Amino acid sequence: MQIITEQNLRNLIDLLVKEAKLVVGPKLSGSVVLYEPLTAGTELTLDALPRRSSKELFFPVCEDILSYKREGGAMKVTDVDRSKFPETVLIGAPPCDAGSPSILDAVMSWDYKDEFYLERRRKSTIVGIACTKGDDACFCRAVGLSPDAENGSDLFLTPLKDGSYACNAVTEKGQALVAAHKNLFAEGAGAEPVPFVDQAVQKLDLVKIKKWLEEHFEDPLWERIADICVGCGACAFICPACHCFDINDEGSTDDGVRRKHWDACGFAKFTNHASGHNPRDVQNKRYRNRIMHKFKYYDDKFGKTLCTGCGRCIRACPVGIDIAEILETINAKQD
Amino acid sequence: MNARANKNHLTSIEPAYYEAVTEAIRKEAVKILKEETVVGVVGYLPGRRKGTATPALVTSVEEAEKLIFSPACVNNLSVYLTKAKKGVLKQGKVGIVAKGCDMRALAGLMTESQLQREDLFIIGVVCPGVYGFGVERTGTLTEANIARKCRECTVHMPEGADVAAGTHAELADLTPEEAEEMARIEAMPQAERWAFWKEHFSRCIRCMACRQVCPFCYCEQCLCDKNRPQAVESSPRPAGNMAWHLVRAMHLAGRCGGCAECERVCPMDIPLNLLNRRMAKELKELYDFEAGLAPVEKGPLNQYKEDDDQSFIK
Repeated sequence: MQIITEQNLRNLIDLLVKEAKLVVGPKLSGSVVLYEPLTAGTELTLDALPRRSSKELFFPVCEDILSYKREGGAMKVTDVDRSKFPETVLIGAPPCDAGSPSILDAVMSWDYKDEFYLERRRKSTIVGIACTKGDDACFCRAVGLSPDAENGSDLFLTPLKDGSYACNAVTEKGQALVAAHKNLFAEGAGAEPVPFVDQAVQKLDLVKIKKWLEEHFEDPLWERIADICVGCGACAFICPACHCFDINDEGSTDDGVRRKHWDACGFAKFTNHASGHNPRDVQNKRYRNRIMHKFKYYDDKFGKTLCTGCGRCIRACPVGIDIAEILETINAKQD
Repeated sequence: MNARANKNHLTSIEPAYYEAVTEAIRKEAVKILKEETVVGVVGYLPGRRKGTATPALVTSVEEAEKLIFSPACVNNLSVYLTKAKKGVLKQGKVGIVAKGCDMRALAGLMTESQLQREDLFIIGVVCPGVYGFGVERTGTLTEANIARKCRECTVHMPEGADVAAGTHAELADLTPEEAEEMARIEAMPQAERWAFWKEHFSRCIRCMACRQVCPFCYCEQCLCDKNRPQAVESSPRPAGNMAWHLVRAMHLAGRCGGCAECERVCPMDIPLNLLNRRMAKELKELYDFEAGLAPVEKGPLNQYKEDDDQSFIK
């Protein structure tokens, strides 16, 4: 087994930064931990789940997709030069974050290829880490992941009781990363792994839940949730799997930028048509879409569940809407 | 004997206090539902996770018997009575569980003709305080887990409620952390203060949770959602973020009752209540006005008086 000490993990970050790679990992930013560019290994913070997921590495909060300027009689449109996107290493993402690209790749490379997302994915290496923290909002096991799931990781680290990490190079990218920095890794038996935290939510029958959803497009449950939902986008924005976005032209009609930025099904204007018609005109239709998309539509289309069980939406919901509780409720239904 | 000596010098509020309040709320809610005084009661139910609570709209006696009050009852429920949540319990008179800070929002909404007092049955809570964000939820309220806004609460008693649940209880000798932070920021040179807010707003992802929980953000068309033409950049970028938060603060001046829900729900920990407080201070200094103490005919920014302070015009 290959082992890397914590010090060498931090040294690896220093080396990658020197190689002019963009190294992103959990870092304290003000009072919150976020995935941010690391300038040194010492900045890596592994004791808290970052407030926002690592999806923003591939799917940023906001990005320019083109700019336009009127020159004489013609409109000059300039594309973003995606070849300039940097080689990136994401370090320290737990399975509920590291696993998100392996879910999102499907939709991003489906009928329309999202070259912004895909170019970043091509240029990235993900160093995932088994999760030994967790709290009462976590439910990764219930949705088919686990604190040591390697899905999405190129190199996977397992924390050991002596403070070092067992390493598993899951993909060729991971093997290449290890091979290029061989002297930081050592062969060894390794200490005992740090134990995982128990999760309150038991395994859910996702097939049964999906079946219930298929049969309950109309159900009082949606209204009951919508009664208290205040219609913000907190749940969707911090979710590792939500990927809806809006496109806006900003600037003037002669000179501006077309931007893509996160959107959320909680917003009243989500799916509001230019005509003024909105097929999801009330909150219960919008909340239903959130659950349907995650546990039915995405599975129909891509055979995957659009949720990693990170629990962020549960911790952040202003009114305490608890998606794990909703799933448990559906799971327990007999009809 | 000074005023402080009259108060119990408590270092913790035990679960028994919250249990007594819970009992009083249940009793009253059951009574007004049974007597059909109201069509429903907006209150709190326990959440799945230990030490959490969630807002609920209860319409049956059976549900009313499950209502709770605990330090996890952080929400300002008055948001459920506003236009933004139209359609919720619109069939008749509504009961609502309200802490002192929530009462200020109700008074403000009455001032703005959004609510009529006679349409409400207010179950006031004599509230010693609620949890802050990310604290240990043990069931006991202490200096270590009380919300920042509650450290300087002046409205423990819910004035103007139909009934009050609980007796007087509050923690003693709490340091006014928010006032200290206000003073620290106000003492900064302007450039440093600008940098402070720029840094905070840079984390904003425009999830609009601050707007959606605010009882006073009930506009049917928010300026910040407009895109034909666009008034404020709706993409989460520095300029648009700054503009949004300034619009929000200005629009709430003289209206915000100080429940600090905007700050509590911010997933990025932006200290929005500092802006609200700063605005409230301006209103106090310029017009000797405090929002939400009682319903008034018009707030100072909704009327013109010849003797209004005009020193701000430069």
